[in-house]
Amino acid sequence: MTAKTLDLPKKSWLGLPALAIGLIFVALVTVYGWLFLHAESEMEVLALLVAAAIGVVAGTRSGATRNVSVAMNQHSGIMNAAIIGGVLVVIGLLSQEHFSLLMLTSVLLYLTAALGLNVQFGYTGMVNFAGAAFFGIGAYTAAVMTMHTGVPPLLILLCGGVAAALIGFVLVLPVVRTRGHYSAVVTIAFAVLFKTFLEVNDVLGGPQGLTVGSMSILGWDFNSSPTLFGVEMSFYVNYALLGTVLAAVAFMFTRRLERSWLGLTLDSVRLDETASACFGIGVTRAKILAFTFGNVLAGTAGALYGMMISFIAPTSFTFSDSLLLVAIVLLGGMGNPWGTAVAAAIVVVLPEKLQIIQEYRFLLFSVLVIVMLLFRPDGLLPRQIRTYIPGWRKQP
Amino acid sequence: MDIGLLGQYLANGIMLGTMYALVAVGFTLFFGVLDVIKFSHGDVLMLGAFTGFTVYLGMAGIGIENPWVLVVFVTLSAVIGTAFIGAVIARYLVLPLKSAPPLNILLITLMLGTAIREAVRLFFPDGSNPKPFPSLLPSSSVELGNFSLRADSAILVGVGLAVIVGLHLLINRTRLGLAIRAVAQDEETAKTMGINYTMIVLVTFAIGSGAAAFAGTMNGLYYNEINFGMGLLLGLIGFSAAIIGGLGNLYGAILGGFLFAGLQTVGAVALPFASAYKDVFAFAVVIALMAWKPTGLIAERTSDRV
Amino acid sequence: MSGRLLEITQLSKRFGGVTALDQFEMTVNRGEILGLIGPNGSGKTTSFNVVTGIYAPSQGKILFDGQDITGFTPQQVYKAGVARTFQRSRLCLPLSILDNIMIGNYGRLSKGLWFNLINRRAFQAEFEEGFDQAQALIRTFSASLADRMFEPVGSLPMIERRRIEICRALISRPKLLLLDEPSAGMTHDETKQLMDDILDVRSRIADLSVVIIEHEMGVIERITDRCIVLNYGRKICEGTYGQISTDPEVQQAYLGAE
Repeated sequence: MTAKTLDLPKKSWLGLPALAIGLIFVALVTVYGWLFLHAESEMEVLALLVAAAIGVVAGTRSGATRNVSVAMNQHSGIMNAAIIGGVLVVIGLLSQEHFSLLMLTSVLLYLTAALGLNVQFGYTGMVNFAGAAFFGIGAYTAAVMTMHTGVPPLLILLCGGVAAALIGFVLVLPVVRTRGHYSAVVTIAFAVLFKTFLEVNDVLGGPQGLTVGSMSILGWDFNSSPTLFGVEMSFYVNYALLGTVLAAVAFMFTRRLERSWLGLTLDSVRLDETASACFGIGVTRAKILAFTFGNVLAGTAGALYGMMISFIAPTSFTFSDSLLLVAIVLLGGMGNPWGTAVAAAIVVVLPEKLQIIQEYRFLLFSVLVIVMLLFRPDGLLPRQIRTYIPGWRKQP
Repeated sequence: MDIGLLGQYLANGIMLGTMYALVAVGFTLFFGVLDVIKFSHGDVLMLGAFTGFTVYLGMAGIGIENPWVLVVFVTLSAVIGTAFIGAVIARYLVLPLKSAPPLNILLITLMLGTAIREAVRLFFPDGSNPKPFPSLLPSSSVELGNFSLRADSAILVGVGLAVIVGLHLLINRTRLGLAIRAVAQDEETAKTMGINYTMIVLVTFAIGSGAAAFAGTMNGLYYNEINFGMGLLLGLIGFSAAIIGGLGNLYGAILGGFLFAGLQTVGAVALPFASAYKDVFAFAVVIALMAWKPTGLIAERTSDRV
Repeated sequence: MSGRLLEITQLSKRFGGVTALDQFEMTVNRGEILGLIGPNGSGKTTSFNVVTGIYAPSQGKILFDGQDITGFTPQQVYKAGVARTFQRSRLCLPLSILDNIMIGNYGRLSKGLWFNLINRRAFQAEFEEGFDQAQALIRTFSASLADRMFEPVGSLPMIERRRIEICRALISRPKLLLLDEPSAGMTHDETKQLMDDILDVRSRIADLSVVIIEHEMGVIERITDRCIVLNYGRKICEGTYGQISTDPEVQQAYLGAE
């Protein structure tokens, strides 16, 4: 695992300032995302994949990607706003396409959950192979609470996160007391236990699953289609917008966590527990913090996911799904939230777009991760050195 | 409770215990020589069972019907084929990552397990459905009151125990076993003593995987059914058994296997109304066990030099 | 402020049947540099590990600055004012120089969730202060390192890593610094430079006591005020370098019985 420092590029690209290149990049990705989600034939999808490959090579060769990194680092406020703007533009362009919006929102919710896992094992080195189980806890919490209580759905979203955290606390003792392989066993056992339990338990619907009530904010039901300027849009627009908010908040907190003393503590615990303890670092406290933080994100995302698809069953939260979340973190690059975002998009959208690989997705991604671990263990976007305050330079 | 029923539970427990012990031995061997946990072990076991099943289909297809010939060939081909696969995995996936963070080996073997599972599900004809494994052993039984001892169970347990004893003798009484133990003790010293380190690691992985394939075939012959997901459960149980006994300790693994089978049987006896929760119970026990003794009942020696 | 800072009495540590420390006695006076020497496996590093709480002692008592720290956890020992380096440099290689030094300052950093995640203005103030401190400290060792605070430690040569490790231990302003074979893996010239650095630091920080484990006798002669010699987990000799180097028992321990 090597981290690279961020040097200023010697020459800016085409004489443009880094920020301009960054904004052009966001615009291009926005258009690309729209085209990709919109693409219908498999030929279109393949053409777009080829275009992406060419784009990546061209960007790297010409040094444009370096400028993008610089822009992200030095103008993080503007860049982040532009990226959120880009997502909103895509939602607007796809506002009448149910399926594309469902996919986009799924990406955002998987991203949220994967960011949680990223904190757990990208930063802290605590493997969690029950990510889908914590996601599922959120979804089942949403199902029970929307159907049997009058709690406002927005609050139920939080309850999903809290429920995941609480059940996580039951696991915390064995997870914190064990290291590496052993704690992996604890979470694997929990992942399998969770799915088996759901299947044999009648109260939670057994193998048939449960119906989940819809999201609503201030009386606005998310399952009704919004109308803007007389054009009726897909009801998924609601979920896509809320998903954007959720992912953005999760992203912001993950980033801030990394760029803080707490993030430093988590890294230190991952890299050397004994030395950490010798400098007064509370190893247990750090692990509990990371485990809980991650589970809250997974649970909250799961709750919204349940509300969006309005019907959940144990088969959506299997051990293989947990591994898929792990694959997202690994493919993207451990500890790099942008990598997680890219990988979430690939892992969620690609199988849906290329129907031939849909059935093979678990196989495909597990082989991909194996290849990755052998030949590029840092992932697609390797993590960079910590900059506590983006764009900060010591005043001379 | 009457004696017959008790005997039935006992016989069942011994059968499960033998199977678990065979799986646990693999985990403990791998951990011994390389300090790694190979999470694909359970799926390798499943692959062994499917290999045996394929060989059976092939042989039945060309008209061989003698069950004894079949059972010998099925078992041998499963064990040998899987042993080979185990060595290949060690050579190309585990050894290259030896100096990488330990997390990476864990991840790569987990992903490999998924890949094997999915490959069987997708590429074995009608692989997503359970396959009827043939009952090749005589199923006549001896009745003792309520208790009926079936011949096939007796044979399976007998051969299984013989394999365990054989493994024990192999590790403790042969030159090969000596080399394996030397590598487990200290890799560097073993190398300077002229032991072919890579070869010993590969052989160890082959032995462990072969034992798992044997357990897989045993499982098939006993339950007359195999499916692509069977390895996940058996692998987890085998691993837990290895941990109960303390990783890296052969006796521990055997003890752990029987202990875990005992726990499951007691669970089934004590909670007859909740037999559906059998696996939930088993995994809850695993988790509780890890909370109580994080590195097993016989604590693992710490290797963290300061 | 003179007198004894650390007093170890009758300290034993057994691992199974092996006795790594056997009734070990050691006293460190305030402001002195004490050398801890002995053949390999004589229990030097074990004594550090017991003092810093990594291992619980089987027997004996450790008094530090008037406080009984026997059986403390590593965290508690650190809070009491003991910092150390490790024989095999245990820096976090993928992290930056700044990160590694800040880990040593953990006790002074704000750890609240609100502070770290929400109140970024306050965080930035504390960050800038911490950065200045860390930079100023590393500058006393090497000006070039001070200009590369955001570079990963993994890309640096051994001597620079040792310097960073010592800075990581010093930034918390400990009363006692334990150095476990700082010259390991370095050339003769590098070792000399590092010892100059250590003497320099000692001259700046009044009242800092140092215990150093070292194999190079030249180093011991040059920088220590006093030495303790260990063999088979026992103290066999104590005194200035001149005294111990002529002691017959010490010579026997090093050269074998003749």
